Amino acid sequence: MNRSRRLSRRRFLQSGGVVLAGSLLGGAKAADPAGTPPAIQKILRRAEAGASSGTRVIVVGGGWSGLTMAKYLKRFNPAFDITLIDRQQYFVSFPLSNPWLADQLSLDFLSHSFFDAANNHGYRFLQADMLGLDRESRRVYTDQGYLEYDYLVLAPGVEYDYTRIGIDDPAQQQRLFQHYPGGFVAGSELLTIKRKVESFNGGTFLLNVPNGDYRCSAAPYERACMIAAIFKRRRLRAKILLLDMNPGITIKAEGFQRAFDELYGDYIEYLPSSEISGVDIDGRRLETTFDEYPFDDAVIYPPVRASSLIEAAGIDNPKDPQKAPLTDPFRYHLIGDERIYVTGDSRSQPFSKGGHTAHSEAQYVAEVIAAHALGREAVWRSPQTMCFSAVDINPLESMSIITYYRFDEHSGQFAFDRTHLVDHWDPQGGQASLAWAEGMFDDMFYG
Amino acid sequence: MTIAAARWLLYCLCVALLLGGLSPAAAVEPIRVVLELNPDIENGRRQFAICARCHLPEAWGTRDGSYPQLAGQHVNVLMKQLLDIRSGRRANPTMRPFVQQRTIGGYQNLADVVAYISTLPMTPAPDQGPWEPETAEFREGAEIYTARCASCHGIDGGGDNARGYPRLQGQHYRYMQRQAHLVRDGLRAVEPGMAAVLAALTAAQVDKALNYVSYLPIPAADLAPDVDWRNPDFK
Repeated sequence: MNRSRRLSRRRFLQSGGVVLAGSLLGGAKAADPAGTPPAIQKILRRAEAGASSGTRVIVVGGGWSGLTMAKYLKRFNPAFDITLIDRQQYFVSFPLSNPWLADQLSLDFLSHSFFDAANNHGYRFLQADMLGLDRESRRVYTDQGYLEYDYLVLAPGVEYDYTRIGIDDPAQQQRLFQHYPGGFVAGSELLTIKRKVESFNGGTFLLNVPNGDYRCSAAPYERACMIAAIFKRRRLRAKILLLDMNPGITIKAEGFQRAFDELYGDYIEYLPSSEISGVDIDGRRLETTFDEYPFDDAVIYPPVRASSLIEAAGIDNPKDPQKAPLTDPFRYHLIGDERIYVTGDSRSQPFSKGGHTAHSEAQYVAEVIAAHALGREAVWRSPQTMCFSAVDINPLESMSIITYYRFDEHSGQFAFDRTHLVDHWDPQGGQASLAWAEGMFDDMFYG
Repeated sequence: MTIAAARWLLYCLCVALLLGGLSPAAAVEPIRVVLELNPDIENGRRQFAICARCHLPEAWGTRDGSYPQLAGQHVNVLMKQLLDIRSGRRANPTMRPFVQQRTIGGYQNLADVVAYISTLPMTPAPDQGPWEPETAEFREGAEIYTARCASCHGIDGGGDNARGYPRLQGQHYRYMQRQAHLVRDGLRAVEPGMAAVLAALTAAQVDKALNYVSYLPIPAADLAPDVDWRNPDFK
């Protein structure tokens, strides 16, 4: 749920946890459980989540990838016994959260129950925190005990990598996260950001765009527009300082530039090539390679990396700066292990990180796994990245882009295939963004 | 297949729903409402802008079968799919919100948009099946298609607008294959006649028949000049 829990779990795993896994989890029956603290005993028991029947599939992560995966796995193979695990109590959508910041839709629209998803689609939901993995005995360890799998899908998403903006001390990372959350990982971040925007009384509101393959490439620009729209509506004497770690706007560039100039010229100051090198949390100053920027309030979005669960499971690729696992680029399974699949934003492929990509990808990977169970093969198809960006409000006006990917045989890499960009904003685009989200939520939770 | 000047019929099946125990009647007969609408292509183009955000301005679909080719399809077929998705009869949760009264509007807008789509030229490079002409599988597929499918879908795969049978010419092989298997697996509801034909064939036979269909020639007049053609309405 929050950063401290994540950090403490990671420390646990990196110190005693892994050793524990080595000695007790590895099947050493001689180990004396009497000397083990009750909290540890709990995780060493089989989870009481219900008896499994049929082929056991565990999906870790109830985001756009995991929810879609669980639904379509069941649909493609009703004999699968599926358990979806997430540590959150309920789902909050990050897509469309920027229009919510600007009061264009309600939090109810973005919030959904894992129970509804599981009940409507015939699988089990277990609120639990994955701690580790033993591939030999095919067990996933969680804070609710262990579960055994025939297939395991890991879709744990991303985490912030504060080291890439010069914050190395875990205590400082936690403070920065808590005071100036980036708004792309946990629900509480969104609520805090909304409160910040609502209570802002003027001055400098600092936002940034991370570099690398960060989650939702258009979202930081969209967020600047939505916050500016609110400030404009309130006629606030305020400036949004948008520091971009990239040399220019990374997506829908002409559209966003026009929005900054035409709609929010008095509010948004856009500064590209701003390499963030540190943050003075108490002094409210952000440092870049060449400058310092004082701020009155801020939303600081550091670059991202694959979830530390991938590392905890011992399957990360040490050569990958995002710590993603080494997986087959077309079949998504771990190299050398066709029982374990990694999808969503912690995937190794360079697809744009975001909800729609994860949703379309998961439908395909569900086919891959269902086919594998039958000794067949599914034919590769590209994920799609559909991305709406809200620019103006009352009524909501949005731009959109859709893109596909293809594998380029010459370079041996994925490249963008057909793309359709609508880089002017209009109410039809705003309405389409709401219909898109409604359809996605319906597919993952109800339909 | 031009329908630009034509008046055409829209069949809408309105089924009165009975809630158990609430009505004394044993059964209520379905009521078929027949509307006749004059399509406005220009309005259809405006409406299609919202569709194009996902289906792309050419409406060609994708060779991997994740989207169908809509260009060149019969208006009555397109209309039936829109209405089935609108009502939930054809399960498509992600498209459903886009075709509601509150989003795309009433029957006139639906008529306009399908009329516009039917005027679009088709891709000259649809996905084709793995068995080229002269192979045994191709010939077997031809026999199956001719015997089981052609009476409705046409010997040339052209379908039948009046009867609402889809045009299969130019449809992506992997799209047809996925849909046929969804029907066979009970995951997509279709007309009973269609379901019966698919149920009577093995999966391999279905694939071969669709393979044959994917090689049926498309009339040159219905094709875009090349794969790089882009819909000038959305430049």
